[in-house]
Amino acid sequence: MKYLGQLALIFALCLVGDMIAALLPFALPGSVVSMLLVLLLLVSKVLKEEHLGESADFLLRNMTFFFIPPGMSIIRYFDVISSIWWQLLLVNLVSMVICFAVSAWTVTLVIRIQQRVVGGRRA
Amino acid sequence: MREILSSPLFGITLSIVAFKVGLSINEKVKHPLANPLIIALIIIVATLKLFGIPHEYFEAGSSIILLFLAPVTAVLALTVYRQRAVLLSTFFPIVLGTLAGSAAAIGSVVLLSRLMGLHEAVTASLIPKSVTTPVAIALAEQMGGISALTIASTIISGLAGNLFAPLLITLFAVKDPVAQGVAIGCASHALGTSKAMEIGQVQGAMSSISISLSAIWTVLLVTLFF
Repeated sequence: MKYLGQLALIFALCLVGDMIAALLPFALPGSVVSMLLVLLLLVSKVLKEEHLGESADFLLRNMTFFFIPPGMSIIRYFDVISSIWWQLLLVNLVSMVICFAVSAWTVTLVIRIQQRVVGGRRA
Repeated sequence: MREILSSPLFGITLSIVAFKVGLSINEKVKHPLANPLIIALIIIVATLKLFGIPHEYFEAGSSIILLFLAPVTAVLALTVYRQRAVLLSTFFPIVLGTLAGSAAAIGSVVLLSRLMGLHEAVTASLIPKSVTTPVAIALAEQMGGISALTIASTIISGLAGNLFAPLLITLFAVKDPVAQGVAIGCASHALGTSKAMEIGQVQGAMSSISISLSAIWTVLLVTLFF
């Protein structure tokens, strides 16, 4: 019953997230809204870790598995993709690497600036 | 036979078995290219082709697995909450890092598409590809993109992050675990995050929060500039 309760709570929170997302004036999906909602409820102590507990950890540990259906959609849409597949692959991979580098360097840089400011204040 | 194969249980069972095989091959080979998800996808495609099973039969089951993607994303909040101390002390770096990363992703797609002379509808489909699939589809449709291309692109970005994150960390000498996590989440959403969680708890949490933040930034940037 414990696991069922946890799952029911997780599903219910997702439904609430979907409802909030539908009311938002811009495109943010229910799953992202749900994640922010769960975080907010945890931080405000309305929700405790054990309320989500083992069921949440089960989902997280096996997270990659749930990407099988979207992964299969590449095959389903192969006709649309096949004519420009190498351009698609190139743009995606290069842009992914650029995004990775820029975000990693920005975080590192801002952390350094922050440390210098805090260090400067101390001195 | 048709009754058995068209049951949703067939797609679910095939997916689980294929993923289990993928996991055990991954454990034995220990090579990043022996990715359990890619192995599973190959096994499923091969099985469907070999026995001439229509894609719709598999989808009856896979659509049920797909339902769980939203709860999985929602409970990522737990990994963020467990690292709340790190999140609080590096709030600005994370917010600015995801902004810069999202802008870089959008800018590079526009530039590369122009260079290669891709059609505008293709470019529109690729612009939001770094963010989680549902946001990407909504934004692509808003800009007149083709959602099939968007789905394929988000999966390619996600898979690339899942495969190459450890390599990119070494290549760009990213030492800070927060920076590693933000980069993975920003560039390859939840699919990359599952790799970030394997690398470490801080990386997993930072990657998780970056999914939300980069989604928000991308929505804002696309609304402003397109």
